[in-house]
Amino acid sequence: MSRLAGVAVGVALIVPATAWTGASGAATNRAVHHSPPNVTVTLGTTDRIVSLDPAGSYDLPSWTIIYNVYQTLLKYIPGTTTIVSDAGTCAWQGTGATTYVCTVKPKQFFSNGDPVTAADVAFSFNRINKIANSNGPSSLIAPMKNVTASGNKVTFKLKAADAAWPDVLTTGAGAIVDQKLYSFTSLQPSTAGKIIGSGPYYMASYTPNQLAVFKPNPHYGGSDVLHNNEFIVRYEETATTLVSDVTSGAVDIAYRELNPTQILALEKTKGITVTQGKGIEIRYIVFNLKVQPGSTAAQKHAIRQAVAYLVNRNDIAKNVYKGTVKPLYSIIPDALAGHINSFENVYGSSPNVAKAKAVLKAAGVTTPVKFTLWYNTDHYGDTDLATELQRQIDTGGLFNVSLNTAEWSTYVQAGTTNQYGVSLFGWFPDYPDADDYTGPFYLCDDEWMVNHYCNMQVNKNIAAEEASTVQSVRDSAFAKLQTLTAEDTPLIPIWQGGQVAGVRDGVTGVKSTLDASYTFRFWLIGKS
Amino acid sequence: MASSTGSLRRYVLTRLVLVLPMVLILLTLVFMLMRVAPGNPILAALGGHLSPSQLASRERAAGYDKSLLVQYWEYLRQVFTGNLGTTITDHRPVTQIIAQNGAATLELTGAAMFVAIVVGVPLGMLAGRMRDTWVDASARIFGIVIYAAPVFFLGLLAQELFGHILNWLPTSSEASIIIQANLTPHTNIPIIDAMIDGQWGDLPDLFAHLVLPAMTLGLVISGVVLRLVRVNVIQTMKGDYVEAARARGLKERAVVVHHAFRNALVPIITVTGLQAALLLSGAVLTEETFNWPGIGNQLIYYLDARDYIAVQGIITVFALAVVAISLIIDLLNAWIDPRVRY
Repeated sequence: MSRLAGVAVGVALIVPATAWTGASGAATNRAVHHSPPNVTVTLGTTDRIVSLDPAGSYDLPSWTIIYNVYQTLLKYIPGTTTIVSDAGTCAWQGTGATTYVCTVKPKQFFSNGDPVTAADVAFSFNRINKIANSNGPSSLIAPMKNVTASGNKVTFKLKAADAAWPDVLTTGAGAIVDQKLYSFTSLQPSTAGKIIGSGPYYMASYTPNQLAVFKPNPHYGGSDVLHNNEFIVRYEETATTLVSDVTSGAVDIAYRELNPTQILALEKTKGITVTQGKGIEIRYIVFNLKVQPGSTAAQKHAIRQAVAYLVNRNDIAKNVYKGTVKPLYSIIPDALAGHINSFENVYGSSPNVAKAKAVLKAAGVTTPVKFTLWYNTDHYGDTDLATELQRQIDTGGLFNVSLNTAEWSTYVQAGTTNQYGVSLFGWFPDYPDADDYTGPFYLCDDEWMVNHYCNMQVNKNIAAEEASTVQSVRDSAFAKLQTLTAEDTPLIPIWQGGQVAGVRDGVTGVKSTLDASYTFRFWLIGKS
Repeated sequence: MASSTGSLRRYVLTRLVLVLPMVLILLTLVFMLMRVAPGNPILAALGGHLSPSQLASRERAAGYDKSLLVQYWEYLRQVFTGNLGTTITDHRPVTQIIAQNGAATLELTGAAMFVAIVVGVPLGMLAGRMRDTWVDASARIFGIVIYAAPVFFLGLLAQELFGHILNWLPTSSEASIIIQANLTPHTNIPIIDAMIDGQWGDLPDLFAHLVLPAMTLGLVISGVVLRLVRVNVIQTMKGDYVEAARARGLKERAVVVHHAFRNALVPIITVTGLQAALLLSGAVLTEETFNWPGIGNQLIYYLDARDYIAVQGIITVFALAVVAISLIIDLLNAWIDPRVRY
């Protein structure tokens, strides 16, 4: 069940979630007062923190820490995309998904002992918009019209129906800060002692880009049980030193970013297990409908379809990524509710040169069609993927693909300003919901990928899934729009990535936290 | 004597006045290079995540649409008021980066210079003294090869051999993670911090972490030192006073150590001091290779992030350090050798 669960199931899900939370409240206190085991866990990563103030970060590295230091109103059950209560219990109010009301649970405390209140929650959201930091998540909470607190209740009024709003509340943007300590107009410094949350840990020390030390929050009132009493994160300069450190035992876990070669090497290293979990990062080909090859709309469509017939995802997953990614047959990863294998349904699972040739011939396209496939090396590292795609698309002589590359800043700007006809892009979700994979790509306006694709039927289905909190209704809308977009082919999905960590023997709990929510839960990690 | 003092004062003043345009040119170059490079911090961090209109709005809000002249003036004003600013990507005061990470670089470069001198000076003296023998040839080949070897390549070889195959030394960072987590940063140099707190048991670990990065960088620099010492020893060995020393029946070792080397030392100190720039650029790559938390390591990170403020601040400090060292050496040279002043 996807994170939509929280959304779609709405009240139905939140009620049991509340019961679960209530039950776990007692367990929480037990967890805190029963000291965590005397275990120190060390994790190495090439990640870099932008800010530990939720108003100043919109990136996974910062959110990884935020998830462990702050509470949010809602959270995902590990290993699932089911939303349950964290610091609050929530439900949709009235018909339509425009008013969402949460009740802040009692006995929730910040690590300085201050109680968590509804006013803190409203303050946390309002200050994100007030500060509007250039690296902050104000765009993520843009659907919010306003938020108010009354007693222990928080009411979110949305600008339009948005069934994915509960998912937004689980992200780092939904982290609750202490209004007594945090400024309404400026960011809190990311230093130990200044970063105060009500999550399972507090930050004992932090040397930027070097080391962060976390210890159990003595006032924690949430439901999570800690399996260690110290968690240390070392920020590595390169993946090479990360591999070296986990191999030598300098760190217990190597988490992000390991390339396929390094993963294979770690798999062969004694004393280390490579643990894989669900991941929903994706890679896909983008056609800019304005500047892609083809003289008419029909020819352009035929060219896109022909390319879709020629892509061999299995070969890419096996040969380029050594099995560390999975073939993707829809823009929505298969770990999310609403996914269907639309591209497999339309184009098959294996390349088909004959059909590619037929579709080009029917549209009167002269072959070979020449185009440049743009790719990026410093952000996505797609050289091998681009080379393999070039080989596959050129097979059969229908196309003559050349490759070109640009560094990230240039690439992302050119890719969204009609300078690339065909290019490779990736997407890392804000939250694990199919809506995060459809609206940004396929809406006629307000899409981040400006490739001039517009299909009103697709628009209608996106509006339908956003307006409904019933999962079956949303699934139906997703299925329709996936089929439509597979036929139109403005994008061709290639692969979906899993999460990978190199884990030293004796370290437990990593598998259970590597899920589609990308929440690395420090508290689940222990040692046997 | 009065004339000599006057000429020295004039020289010092001239050199000090020349520092200003030198620094200004450096700062302008740094500013222009950063702006010529494509992209900006917003694009680097959030490109691919926000729509073009959202990106443009954030770029405007951050002031990246202001004219270059306005940005340049703000930059100069900040530098000359001693305010290097706060990084765009992670909101750190640049002065904090300089203090925290600069200390690690100082530790690494200091240790590397020690290695360079300990290796380069004796080998250079030996090669100079035994000119055109197999010893000289070997030392020269060593000097050329070691200097030509890319520091990261040498580092990777050292990591593989001493870290992975022999398993003698740690290959990453400046301390084991638990020791690092428990150190109180007084000076940000772990070895000194451990001494201050009396954590003597941590010292073997801290020194062990320093060995490979210092050896790697130090050996590369030793190539320069070796060749410099050799050439100067050969030159001074031709001097009349060396012949006179020999004529007085002094042993060859005493001639080399007490006469030739001592006189060869002046240009050696001068040029070795000027290796500061080489040392700093080498430190950037060494830190990257060994995950050493120095300022060079941070420079690479902020370059990737297109963080103008951080990169400008770090390079400005690098540039000022090199300018300051050159100035000190020039002054020292002028003080030692009166010919320089005229």
